[in-house]
Amino acid sequence: MAEINLNCKGLQCPGPIMQVFKTAKEAKSGDVINVKVTDRGFAKDIQAWCKKTGNELLELNEGETEISAKIKVK
Amino acid sequence: MMNQKVLVIGAVAAGTKTAAKLKRENPNFDITVITKDEYISYAGCGLPYYIGGVIEEKKELVVKTPEDFKLITGIDVLINHEAIDIDKENKKVKVKVLATGEVKDFHYDKLVIATGASPFVPPIEGIDLERVFTLRRVEDALAIREAVESGEIKKAVVVGGGFIGLETAENLFDRNIEVSIVELAPHILPGFDEEIALYAQNYMTEKGVNILTSEKVVSIKGKGKVEKVVTDKREIEADLVIMSVGVKPNVGLAKKLGIEIGTTRAIKVNQHMETNIPDVYAVGDCAETTNLITGKPAWYPMGSTANKMGRVAGINMNDPEEKDSLKGVLGTTVVKLFGLNAAKTGLSERDAKKEGYDVVSVIVPGNDKAHYYPGYRMIITKLIADKNTHKVLGAQVIGEGVVDKPIDIIATAITLGAKVEDLEKLDLAYAPPFSMAMATTIVAANVLLNKLKGKIETISPVQLKDKLDEVVVLDVRDEASNMICSIPGCINIYSEELSMKAEELDKNKETVLVCKIGKNAYLSYLQLKEMGFKNVKVLEGGMAAYPYKTE
Repeated sequence: MAEINLNCKGLQCPGPIMQVFKTAKEAKSGDVINVKVTDRGFAKDIQAWCKKTGNELLELNEGETEISAKIKVK
Repeated sequence: MMNQKVLVIGAVAAGTKTAAKLKRENPNFDITVITKDEYISYAGCGLPYYIGGVIEEKKELVVKTPEDFKLITGIDVLINHEAIDIDKENKKVKVKVLATGEVKDFHYDKLVIATGASPFVPPIEGIDLERVFTLRRVEDALAIREAVESGEIKKAVVVGGGFIGLETAENLFDRNIEVSIVELAPHILPGFDEEIALYAQNYMTEKGVNILTSEKVVSIKGKGKVEKVVTDKREIEADLVIMSVGVKPNVGLAKKLGIEIGTTRAIKVNQHMETNIPDVYAVGDCAETTNLITGKPAWYPMGSTANKMGRVAGINMNDPEEKDSLKGVLGTTVVKLFGLNAAKTGLSERDAKKEGYDVVSVIVPGNDKAHYYPGYRMIITKLIADKNTHKVLGAQVIGEGVVDKPIDIIATAITLGAKVEDLEKLDLAYAPPFSMAMATTIVAANVLLNKLKGKIETISPVQLKDKLDEVVVLDVRDEASNMICSIPGCINIYSEELSMKAEELDKNKETVLVCKIGKNAYLSYLQLKEMGFKNVKVLEGGMAAYPYKTE
């Protein structure tokens, strides 16, 4: 099972969620995506996205300047 | 010549400012300030934060004691002294010493009315119950904090969704109290336009505050202490009630003197703070001013205005020939609600329409810093202008980022009579940690000019909400974004695939393009226009500023 690191800092529109979506599509089940983001809307988006798609949100850290998330691909 | 006697009635912001400025202008005036209150020169706007404990101690709120004030200025301040009547002919004020009940006469050569404003208290059943408060004076804040710290307050109801109500709600919430806000109007922040106010409302709701709008408080119930608030729609349990439904100017004493009251129900003064009676001035929350845009009388009871009025009065009382003046104000305000900041200047779109302007406006999201600089936050600008003259009429800025800078820029521009074209070309400070290369205010002006010149047709969130059934909503964001949150009934075609897939759509039907903030929708707009679409519009502010139902 692979760990994929995704730097989406500075990305806004289309947002980091699209990168996560693309990466998850190409990844294998059980792979873990580590993503770093500066777009504030991402925290809400990734929670909603995981809920809708069934991917598992392992971690979500909302820092003052950076948000990071760990997602296990379904 | 004997030293002239000046009596100032009221000792918060405007009264003390007038006295201090006059003394600095000319130390020979014999100035006395009286107040019926115990505290002088206090930070009224800080009271909600004292309840929350952000301001720890009472002494931090009270800027100066009477002793401090005397020491610094040489002016006597008499607390617990209530002015009860005025003898105009003999220039005498009857003053009751509240501690003893004794009544004294104070002679004056010049009089300053700075009697402030008081909370409006609706005459409803149960208003006198224990733990039903207004929040205006230091004593109110002390009593509310004491109640909160008793540990007996689990649930609170704040009646009124204006600044004081919302700030108090936040501070009570931070004390682990379950808070409901009941607002009579359709949304909180009544001075703001609907889209911006609803943005704040959604934000506070997400934080966990229960907000009930278009709802009227009918009565308050309880045995001794408050137990519940009854509205026209429900009953809400409450151990504490804050009534913050607005304030009214204290003009009782002014009326006794025969001072003219203005159309705003506050004391009418000219630009020099003179009332219609010679040697009598009025300043602060009891006095009206002028709206700089409409030129009409306006009443903005704000600490910022009160201080300016006090300075003007102080200067003119010393030398009436100097004619220092306050021409008016724009009603510029700013408020912090949890992590959200909201600011406003000039006319709202609603007020501008009411005043008869041919209004044009846009809603434009942007960032307070460069998007690649860590820690930037989104702010949404609503810019309002006159379609015919292009003059800027007002603005509202909301978001987690810095909003006071853009609103102050726009307030300054409006004061100097700026057109949208002027705003667009302002040379503003730029480096990534401070601003986007094109500052949010400039981008908003760009979009508004595009709209004015017919280069883009837009639809506001409120307009779209009302015609969702009649239009095709075309969401041009990527599939993942659309999946997370979208406008009900929309079609999703990613902007990059638009040229291939748009041919399937009806070119004659009104089509509203939606993206995250409006930029990609604008690019798609140009594309669809090129393809022969007849009636295309861009949703202003995109999903970022759409405060209505999504799925």
